[in-house]
Formats: sequence, structure tokens, C-alpha cells
Amino acid sequence: MSTPTDPTTPAAPPPAAPRPAVRPSRIPNWMANPWGRPRWLSAVTWIYILWALVPVLAAILFSFNDGRSRSVWQGFSTRWWWGDESLSVLHNATYSDALLHSLELAALNMAIATPLGFLLAIGLDRWRGRGSRPANFLMLVPLTTPELAMAVSLLLVFTQLSVLPFSAVHLGTTAQVIGQVTFSVSYVVVIVRSRLAAIGPEYEEAARDLGASAVQATRDVLVPLLLPAFLASTLIVFALSIDDFVVTQYMAAGGDTTTVPMLLYANARGATTTPALNAVATIMVVVTLMGVLGAYLVLRYFGHRTEGREVQGKEAMQDLTV
Amino acid sequence: MSIGNNGYGGEVELRGLQKRFGEVVAVDSIDLDVVPGEFFSLLGPSGCGKTTTLRLIAGFERPSAGEILLDGTSLGSVPPDRRNVNTVFQSYALFPHLDVLANVEFGMRYQKTKKPERKRRAEEALELVDLTALASRRPHQLSGGQQQRVALARALVLRPSVLLLDEPLGALDAKIRRQLRIELKALQEEIGITFIFVTHDQEEALSMSDRLAVMNGGRVDQVGTPRQVYESPETLFVADFLGVANVLEVEVEAAALADACSIRVGDFALRARGGDLGVRGAASVVVRPERLALRPHDAVAGENCLPGMVDRTVFVGSNLHVMVRLAAGGVLQASIPNDGSNLDLHEQGRPVLVHVPPDALRVLAPSAPVDSSRS
Amino acid sequence: MSQDSPLWRWLAAPGVLWLVLFVVVPGYAVLAVAMGEIDTLLQPVPAWNPFEWNVGFVKEAFSSVVPGGVYWSATRNTLLYVAATVALCFAIGYPVAYYIACKAGRTKGLLLALIFLPFWVSYLMRMLAWIGLLSADGYVNEALGWVGLGGNDWLNGNPFSVIAALTYGYIPYFILPVYAGLDRIDLRLLEAARDLGASRPWTFLRVTLPLSWPSVLAGIVLIVLPMFGDYYTNDLISGSPNTNMLGNTVNLLVQGGSQKNLGAAMVLVLMTVLAVGMLYYLYETNRQSRRRA
Repeated sequence: MSTPTDPTTPAAPPPAAPRPAVRPSRIPNWMANPWGRPRWLSAVTWIYILWALVPVLAAILFSFNDGRSRSVWQGFSTRWWWGDESLSVLHNATYSDALLHSLELAALNMAIATPLGFLLAIGLDRWRGRGSRPANFLMLVPLTTPELAMAVSLLLVFTQLSVLPFSAVHLGTTAQVIGQVTFSVSYVVVIVRSRLAAIGPEYEEAARDLGASAVQATRDVLVPLLLPAFLASTLIVFALSIDDFVVTQYMAAGGDTTTVPMLLYANARGATTTPALNAVATIMVVVTLMGVLGAYLVLRYFGHRTEGREVQGKEAMQDLTV
Repeated sequence: MSIGNNGYGGEVELRGLQKRFGEVVAVDSIDLDVVPGEFFSLLGPSGCGKTTTLRLIAGFERPSAGEILLDGTSLGSVPPDRRNVNTVFQSYALFPHLDVLANVEFGMRYQKTKKPERKRRAEEALELVDLTALASRRPHQLSGGQQQRVALARALVLRPSVLLLDEPLGALDAKIRRQLRIELKALQEEIGITFIFVTHDQEEALSMSDRLAVMNGGRVDQVGTPRQVYESPETLFVADFLGVANVLEVEVEAAALADACSIRVGDFALRARGGDLGVRGAASVVVRPERLALRPHDAVAGENCLPGMVDRTVFVGSNLHVMVRLAAGGVLQASIPNDGSNLDLHEQGRPVLVHVPPDALRVLAPSAPVDSSRS
Repeated sequence: MSQDSPLWRWLAAPGVLWLVLFVVVPGYAVLAVAMGEIDTLLQPVPAWNPFEWNVGFVKEAFSSVVPGGVYWSATRNTLLYVAATVALCFAIGYPVAYYIACKAGRTKGLLLALIFLPFWVSYLMRMLAWIGLLSADGYVNEALGWVGLGGNDWLNGNPFSVIAALTYGYIPYFILPVYAGLDRIDLRLLEAARDLGASRPWTFLRVTLPLSWPSVLAGIVLIVLPMFGDYYTNDLISGSPNTNMLGNTVNLLVQGGSQKNLGAAMVLVLMTVLAVGMLYYLYETNRQSRRRA
């Protein structure tokens, strides 16, 4: 109920001179205008973007260089891609082997890390018991530790610990896969958990209410809703694997366990290195970006948001900025 | 018909039901009896424990103490998938990856129903809620009202004996809400199962329920039919929550006859015939605005008339809310129909007499807690 | 649902087992080697039993990275480069993030995609690009030549190149969290400030900056942590031990072959130094994910 105003309030003091409609200011209007276009901020941003992308584009361009230089343009040619009989990517066994090995590691990484991380994400999200806090912490460790520390620790455990299962693993492809999976799992967990948080507990509760047991509710409702996140994280793991350097190098064991990043590291400063290196690096970049683009498209077009509407592009991108 | 439990509604009993979340007591020893086949509402402000009570009945929370009985069987810690109780959620929770028909069919597969029968029953359920045309749409393509109906069909197709509804009309526009109220009530009457309906909207609860429980701070303040709860509130909270309540702090004394008591408001004495007539001493009385009548100040002062002055009149279309400041102190709000009569009585500053019929004056025992802030 | 079903534990079990095997045990291996002995073939003898720990290598590691120690220059370089890189990342990255989050309007989506891009181009590819541009006959020198400043040696022990490369490499990791934090600021808060009489600079200093500060810190931690383990930037861009960072030190000790104990001890030193930053980041991520839930 409204309180009625008391008609017997004491008389208010006489009002001061009224304030002007527009307050004068020392800054000219065009500077103070909040809706004006911020020209120099825009310029900085676009300059940054150019600075970030042009060198990479230049490197890609140099892979089509006619001469041997990787720093001076000498005309267009595809010799380093497939033309040159011995030094092009197609014909240079070292380069193509590295490419294939990169893909092999990526495939194995995807196959192991994604299901492992997927289950871990769901389990960690719902687990309320005593072990859940340390388990959560453990999952976050690979994301925060410098990769060098992880690589050294894995190197030592595989070479110094003569207990199974570590003694069964020698440096090489197996070790490389193990190393890559270890940090990839955490990325999968982060991506899947973010979607889990967005989905919320309601759909499973509705499924339970309608007669599904806990397992059935997870299987019939949660997993289908998480499918886009699963696919997206598969592609992200692929991209991470292709680009990975430190752990992969530490776990390597000679020539046929070389990957493209290792190749780049070894040859980037080389005096005799040809633009074929740029070519193989370009392949790596293109493959990675295709993977990320795929992940983005999956999240955008197949995501089912809780409100029922389609996932917005921006949300998909934020999910991917792990 | 394939919906409803062949007209059989379940009986739900709550005995000393309690739920604690750490230090917070959300549900504080509730006893309730829901009659089979009735439309029963849990009404109260946010945080009063009504949704928690519903979730306890559904099985999503386990009671800290007390028990829940469905048709005499204790539900104990039976998981939600095995209780013959279904829920319509506040946000409907329609599965986004399934179309409408698949949503409605969903629960039947856990009852081991064969596919053709699932489809048939689902289609019947959709027909019941008038959504056959939308069977192949996805939830995000439906309006709020349509989603709600799908949620209803999905729950009802499983033939529960009790349907729980958690503020199902909350997210809808006022106009659709009013229409759906009528439809829901009609549906419940047609099917015959028990509905337990949670809401904070008193108009909803009053218009739809056979009986309702008003909850406050985890406790049930009063249970009764809408008329009982509105016209005979037993606590200040109930009086204030349902509609507008004029509350006066008074002194109660015995009256000549046993069917009434005498109320002192300042220097004035009134006769009251409602509420707890055995109370003596300081107490509160409650009277509804629509029971008050205004008379000119120079009219013959009959029984139960209080003098005062019109403070303010609020025009709300069909009625006039007239706030009268009493000579004895305090303000009463009268709700006068806007029928064009006695217009001069409603002017600001006009002295008037307020007639308070004895039957409309309810005495409330002073121990009745007012605590709506203890949410 | 508040039921504590054992189902979730079982789902998490394989992942947890994997992490225990390949994060916890290797972590202990580092400890054991750092606290171990070295044999006559200069191979490490790890001390798995804590009672047999020998703190000699750890002491040596600590003393080598402080002023006067053998590797003090690496420490000094690292601190310098990291500080310079953070400053540059902030100077460049914050305005960019601010522009995209608050001012971009229609071009926001496009800009976001473009900012997103370098995040996923391999770090080594980006370094390769600069090696091409910074080489003696590269286009950087050529461009500088037009203003008479050409002919520099960028790729041999030049700390400015390293700082520039680090900035180039890590700035996307800074911009993204800062962008996310700025984007989350409710524009209506800024409008309210303007309405109450604050001018543009005031609104920025008193409302926007403080609100975005946690994400700036997150961005800083996000780039500082990996930089302490970075050795490849220096190897690629500088190739000279003068600009060695702590990461190079560890790398040389461990992969060099005969100083694994010291290398492991160095890793311990590194992790101790980083522990504060790591714990802060872990705490923040936990808080964020619970807030989003």
C-alpha cells in the first residue's frame, strides 16, 4: 500500500538558479563525442592485424619462390612443391616423411585423447566426492605448466624409471603420442566442460523424471547434446598435435620420428635450406586451419543451445579460445 | 483414453518433511495431504521452499528428515525414474536434439513400450494438447506456450498418477498465461489425475486450485480452498500475500455475546466476528478492502464505523482504491467499484466514515509470524 | 541432482589414471633425478626414496641462477625479455582488444576472426616467417635501407629481435583473454558513467580499466608462464648463447646429455618460481568455470 504524503511538511528553501541545459566543457565536442568513430584505435587494430598476418603470408609466398632464397623474391614457381626432382616436398623423403609422421601422430592423438578427455570432462563435472578436487587440479596442471617442464619430466620418466609401464616405452612414436595425449586431454576437458556448463543439469533431470536411469539419461540425452563439442574437440586436438613442438621433440628418437615443427626448428636457420621448408610449413598451416575451421563450423551449426536457438558464431569462437 | 491413469489420481502425503542444504533449512517439517485427483497448489514467495518441496516429491532431492508417501507407499530414496510421478519443468526442458513427437515418445521407451504403440500414444497426447500439426518441429521453433504444451504431453503420456508443475506459466506473456490457466484446469479435470502446482502468482493459485497451501520460509502457513485462504487468513503473512490486507494493531476484549469480540481502535470500539475470537489483549486485525464501505461523515454513525479523511484515491479502471486516514490513527484502503455513485466521497481531503462489517474483521493471534523476509 | 552416483567416478577414472601416470609420476621423476646422484658415466642415478635425497644439485641450480652464478645471464635475460614483452603486449594488445570489444560495431565479427587466426598458426611457422624477413638480405633491412638504416644483423644474438619475436609470438595469447574480459563489461555501465557526468578519459580510467584488470592479469599470466620454458624462440631468432633464456639453460642441460641432474634441478627451480603464477591461474580458471556453470 502506498504511504500517503504528509501535507504538513515544512516549506522547502527557495531553489537556487537553475542549472544550464548543456554543461560547458573545455574539450571540443568532436573529441568528447562518445559516438564518434575512434580513428586511431581503429588504425592501431588494423596495423596490428597486418603485422600479425603479413609475415606469415610472405613466408607462404616464398614457398613459391623461383630461386633458393627464402628472403628475396625471385619470381613465381612451383618447383619447391613438386617441380624440383630431389628437393621439392613431393620428392624430398625427409620432408614428406615428416609430414606423414605429423599426420600419424595427430591421428593417434585424436583417437586417444578425445574419448579420454570426453569421459573425464563428464566425470569431473559431476563427481562430488573427495577425490574430485585433486582430480580437477590435476587436469589443469598440463595447461599451466610450461611445456618444457612437462617434456623434461616425461623424458626422465621414460629413460630413468625401470618400472612398468614406463620401461616398456622407449623414445619414439609411442612416447610422442603419450606426451601429446597428456596435454591434449586437458584441452578436451576444458572445451567439453564449457559446453556442459552451458547445457546445465535440466535435460538429464527431465530424462530421469521420464523414466531414464542415470546411465540412460547420460547416454540418451547428454551425449547427443555434447556431440558437437566432442567433434569440435577432436579437430582441436588434431590442430594442437600438428603444431606441437617441445614435447614431440623431446620424445623423438631420430630420423623417422621427425615432425614438421621439428623440421622447421632444425632447418629454419640453415644456409642450405630451400623454400621447400616454407612449402611444408604452409601445408602444416593449411591443415591446421582447416581443422580449426571445421571445429568452428561444427559448433556453430550443430550446437544445440539450451534456449533452443542455434549457437551464435561468437559463442562458438569463445568456446574455441581455450 | 491413453492419457491419465484411467482417471485415477494419486494421493500424496508429506509427513514431517524436511530438507537442509548445509546451514540453510529450505523445507522445515511440512505435513501435507493431497487428495487424489485434486488440483493442489503450493503458493509462496521466492525462496519459501515450494520448488524444493516439489523436487523432493519428484525425487531430485533426498529429504533430510520425514517421509513422502504416494498412495501409501513411502518413496524414501527411490530415484526419480522409478516414481510414478512426472514433472513439467519451469523451462520445459524439451530435448533440443529431438523433434516434438520424439520428445513426447521419450519416456515410453524406458517403460518398454513397443515402437508402434509409442507412436500412437504420443500422437494421442499431442492431439489432447492441440499440437498435432507441429509434431515434426524442433523445440526452438515453437513459441513458449507451445513448448509448454509439449512438456505437458510428454509427461502425461506416461500415465503418472501425480503431475508436478513447477511454475509452468512463469515464462509466458500475461494474455497467454490467462488462457493457459483455463486450459490447464480443464485438462486436469478431464484426465482426473492429481496436479501439484507450484507458483508465486496468487491469482493463478486462487483461480486454478481446488485447494492450496501458502508457504513461507520453509513452512506451511495455511492450507485450504481458495476461498478459505483468501477470506479467512490465519496468519498475517497469508493475509498479506493474497490480495491486499488492511492490518490494524488493536486491543481485543470480550464482547457481550460469545460469537464476537470487542476491538478497540484508539477511542473507538468495533465488534469483530471473524478469526480467533478467544484472543485477548494486543493483537492484529485484518479486513479486505472490498468489504469496506464509505459513507458521508455526517451520516448517522451506525455500528462499526470509523471516521477519517480521504488521503488519496487511485483509479485502476474497474475499481477505485481509496486510502482513508483514520482519526484513530492508521490508514485503511477501501476498494470501491467504479459505478459512478458517490463521486464526491472520493475526493482528496473529504471527511468520511468507513463502515467495517463485523464478519469481515478477522482477529489474528499475536504469535502468528509475519516473516516473509526469512526466505 | 544431488545424488552422488558412482557413475561419474568411473567415467573420470581412465582420464585420471592417465594423468597420474603421465603427469604425477614424471613430476616425481624430475624430483628424484634432481635429488639424485650422478654415476661415473655421467648418467643420472635417480633417488626414488626421499630419504636418499641429495640436495646438492638443487643448491647448485639455485646458486647458478642468482646474481654471480653461472647462469645468471640467462635469468637476467629472461626477466628482461619477459618484462619487455609483457609491456609491449599490453601496449599493443590492450588497445586492439579494446577496439574490437567496445568500438568495432559491424566489423567486430571480421576482426575477431582475423585476431583468431594467428592463434592457430604454428609458432614455428611464425618464427620462420620472421627469419625470412629479418635475414641480411631480407625485406626488413631493405625497407630500413630506404631511410638509410639498413644493413643490420638481426638474427645473431640481437636481444631486440628476441623481444620482438616473443611479442609477436605471444601477443595473440594476451589479446584473447583481454578481449573476453572487455567484451563482458556491460556497456550500460559505461553509459551510466557518461550519464553521470564522467568524460571519456575518466570513464575509461575509472570504470573500464578496473573492470578489465582481472582479464589483463590473466592474459599476463598466460603469456609469462610459457615464456619461462621458451628456448626455441631464442634458438631460431638469435642462435647465440648471449641471449639465452632460462629455457635454453634447461634444454642444454637436459638434452646436452651429461647434466640431466642439474637440468632436473633447474626445472625444479623454474617451477618454484612459477608456482605463484600457476596457482593464481588455476584459482582464476576454477572460479571462472564455476561462475559460468
